[in-house]
Amino acid sequence: MGNLSIQTKSKSLRTVVKFIYPISVLLLSVIPLDLQAQMDTIRYTVSGKVLDVETNDPIPYVTVKVKDVDAFSVTGLNGEFVIGGLYNPQNTLIISCFGYSDSTYERHHDHGKRPHIYLKERVLELGEVIIMAGQKKKEGTQSLSQKRLKRKDLASNPTQSLAAALSEVDGINMASAGSNVQIPIIHGLYGNRILILNNGLKHGFQNWGTDHAPEIDISAAHNITVYKGTAGVRFGPEALGGAIVVDPNPLYLNKPFYGTASSGFQTNGNGAFTTIEVGRGYRKWSYFAGGIFTKIGDRYSPDYSLTNSGKEEKAFSGGIRYRHENLGFKAHYSFVDQNLALLRSSIAESGNSLIRAINSDEPIIVRPFSYAINEPNQLMQHQLGKAEINWSYSSDAMLTLHVGLQLNKRQEFDVRRNAEKPIIDLELNTHDFQLEWKHSDWKKLEGIIGFQLFTQNNDNNPGTGTTPFIPNYNTLRYSGFIMESIRKGKHTYEAGLRIDSEYNNVRGRETNQELFTDEYSFNNITSSVGLVREISNNSTFRSNLGTSWRTPNMAELYSFGQHGFKTSFGLLRYYTNAGGELRTDRVIQMDDSNISPEKGYKWINEWTTTKLKSFFTVTGYTQYIENYIFDRPVAVIGTIRGPMPVFIIDQANALLIGADFTWKKNWSDKVNGRLGLSYLWSRNIKKNEPLINQPPLNINYQLTCNLPDIWKIEFSQFKLKPSYTSRQYQAPRTVAPDALIDGSVIVTTQSEIFDFRDPPNGYFLLDIGWAFKAGDFHASIEIKNSLNSRYRDYLNEMRYFADELGRNFLFTINYIFNSKSD
Amino acid sequence: MKKVNELKMYSFYVLMAMGVILTGCSEDDEAPEPENEEEVITDVKLIFTNDADAADLVTARAQDPDGVGVQELELLDEITLGIDKSYTLTIEIENNLDSPGEDVAEEIEEEDKEHQFFFSFSADAFTNPAGNGNIDNSSDPMKYNDMDGNGNPLGLSTSWTTGSNNLADGTFTIRLQHQPDVKSATSGASDGDTDFELKFVLNIQ
Repeated sequence: MGNLSIQTKSKSLRTVVKFIYPISVLLLSVIPLDLQAQMDTIRYTVSGKVLDVETNDPIPYVTVKVKDVDAFSVTGLNGEFVIGGLYNPQNTLIISCFGYSDSTYERHHDHGKRPHIYLKERVLELGEVIIMAGQKKKEGTQSLSQKRLKRKDLASNPTQSLAAALSEVDGINMASAGSNVQIPIIHGLYGNRILILNNGLKHGFQNWGTDHAPEIDISAAHNITVYKGTAGVRFGPEALGGAIVVDPNPLYLNKPFYGTASSGFQTNGNGAFTTIEVGRGYRKWSYFAGGIFTKIGDRYSPDYSLTNSGKEEKAFSGGIRYRHENLGFKAHYSFVDQNLALLRSSIAESGNSLIRAINSDEPIIVRPFSYAINEPNQLMQHQLGKAEINWSYSSDAMLTLHVGLQLNKRQEFDVRRNAEKPIIDLELNTHDFQLEWKHSDWKKLEGIIGFQLFTQNNDNNPGTGTTPFIPNYNTLRYSGFIMESIRKGKHTYEAGLRIDSEYNNVRGRETNQELFTDEYSFNNITSSVGLVREISNNSTFRSNLGTSWRTPNMAELYSFGQHGFKTSFGLLRYYTNAGGELRTDRVIQMDDSNISPEKGYKWINEWTTTKLKSFFTVTGYTQYIENYIFDRPVAVIGTIRGPMPVFIIDQANALLIGADFTWKKNWSDKVNGRLGLSYLWSRNIKKNEPLINQPPLNINYQLTCNLPDIWKIEFSQFKLKPSYTSRQYQAPRTVAPDALIDGSVIVTTQSEIFDFRDPPNGYFLLDIGWAFKAGDFHASIEIKNSLNSRYRDYLNEMRYFADELGRNFLFTINYIFNSKSD
Repeated sequence: MKKVNELKMYSFYVLMAMGVILTGCSEDDEAPEPENEEEVITDVKLIFTNDADAADLVTARAQDPDGVGVQELELLDEITLGIDKSYTLTIEIENNLDSPGEDVAEEIEEEDKEHQFFFSFSADAFTNPAGNGNIDNSSDPMKYNDMDGNGNPLGLSTSWTTGSNNLADGTFTIRLQHQPDVKSATSGASDGDTDFELKFVLNIQ
């Protein structure tokens, strides 16, 4: 109920590091540095201060007990405690905040049921202690396998995309269309099968196709949490593979003026960035503001320049928070502007050029380095405004209202006649209202009930000189959910239910400019059950079985013709006539079709255990997806450009089974290693054929070594990370475009899916890094692909045309300033 | 306490009002504007005009009526030229998905520096140009009548002279390449992207 614990490790310096997180369980252990020979005659003392993290007020009457030892203390009115006479240098402290007396309990009413503890340690003759609080898991998600990345994990490269930042986590990969457009893959699923929440709001962007990435600025993220199970009940539709929650600056109160200014340079692409964030927390209110500017030119592979692969990005975000007793108010605004180039050599709109591009070992257009971003490229602007009011009307309950507004503008330019006109010019408005009620514990049941109203409006801007690729549409969705959990002894049980009702209104144009319209609705019930079992003090098992769903996106329904180098027809753009022949001459109404939303069932199990100096996590999952949407070839037709393979979007059933394994070991005080392994097996079981673009087996090992201090450098860490990605042995058969164009391979509506090129061979990469701290400066030097390996990534669409990036040196320097605290 | 309660009430009202206003403002049921579709080509017409007699025209048409849809491309005519004649070939290119149709040849002419027509035909079907056309080798003989701003050939107008030999069921291929930033004095039929490629039957009698 009220047990909290903090995990600590000692450092070799005497400055105190403070971490502030809302926590549910804290483990505190003290490891002094100067271990003397006669350990049994030395006594250790641990002391600290318990403060409310939101307001910094001290919390008295908190019981601090040392585990397995008969020693405890209670914090005084100033929140401080001292426990002496300990025999062991390593101890676990259990800090309980709930009431042994009514007066104590009442005190805590003011601060909320879970006092967020902020521990500030005063060191007495011992090495100092770093306190890293385990972050509290969101209600209703405790049984889901999840991983959190903190700001410091992202600091070495704030120019990278969300997907690249997350691909460090086992089970997470990255699908890309070149170096600038990268989307995260969770357990083999990506695109509309992953829900991305930015600042509590579903990121409202053109989330279709494999070449659209969310416009999220990593430098403004303070926390990114990846949920690897279906988090659909809590977060909404589209969370079939999982959910990614990006949190901004938490706007802590009572924080003296702080800031971070960073700048960096990378050799591959001659890229540079500058970012700054400042903020201040007063007693009743706080604010932050920050921004980033990035400019990167053409990258290069080990052998040639990747012409047209640069990017330019500007972003700004800010927020304020106000608190009056138990009423809180927060407002956020963020702006992201991106200009992303796509590889020039990836344009192949005719059979001839596709053959030439795919058969060539090198990209067919290679020019000297340039910062210029030409066609094909994407121009996006994303603005997000959000307001939140929360009302803790009782000690253990809270009512929160979130209101969000997003405006997403996207223009895509292609190599075409009149290339100065975009081929896609869209504006997407998203409105989000969420009311969440975290109710008081009722008969030991904790939970949250929520309501959500979500609307989206998509409009095509005129003047593209080409038929709009996706229609104008309005979406309106009402949702309600309930998530409850109950703890019985060593078990926590969770269950949840969500109802969504979605209405869509579509208006589009056919290629002859005739208007088509449609209106349709889908309703769905999403549910999940989960279990967390603390097998022992060292092991936890969690299991979650949940469903999730998503409606087909506009591109899957209404695609007509070429996008990239494939010609495909959406679910509502083709039909078979009485003679069994494929026809694309009219738009089908949703009610006349037998299209159903995708529905996923995922069962994920995770077992974590700590043994001596090792820490293991094993995750096993299986997922069945009904009405899985994919594209498959149907014919080679004679077009005015010559014979071209044509695809249709279809629905089938898919099964995915996989496992992730992580093993961390502290080899010594200074050296620790982490082994990661992930594997996925998948199949289209209705058609009994493989799925395309599934992540292959990956094994990686990261060795971290803390180096001794030299000169002014107070903290220094060297990192070595070898990794191996194997060839995808489950890839579909290969049919070269030549064989299709000249008719030697026949394709019919019954044909099995194929790929234009064999999957690339397995490859080995070695990343090296060195991070160090001197005074208020933190710096890092990283060498990615230090061996300059030549390789192609199966999950990168550009693998048909060019190799991946060669060696890249990244230099980053951060200046972190904190005004002296009280 | 009363003040706080008031504050709470007002904040909720403000947010609710904002909500209503925001959702209210965004309602629109508009359809996208019709566009002059410039990318799609549905009709290509080859017109061989006898240099000696302007009334002597040979036309050959190709049509893909649904543009990118699954209907196949159709070559509606064969090219039947007379022996011992000199022709000037001009090309009409249109998008007739919408009406009125769009003259795509005009767009190509405006962007002449990014386009070039290439031809191939049965070997020695013509006395001029000799050979089999310049699709296989861009330096093979070809008689272009028009140039782009850089002095490179375009091909909306070309000259052809037939000999005295008959030809039945030969081939005549015309290929339009879109070559932005790629077109040069040495670029060929495999550079850039193919906007259309049509293989007609060629008869000379």
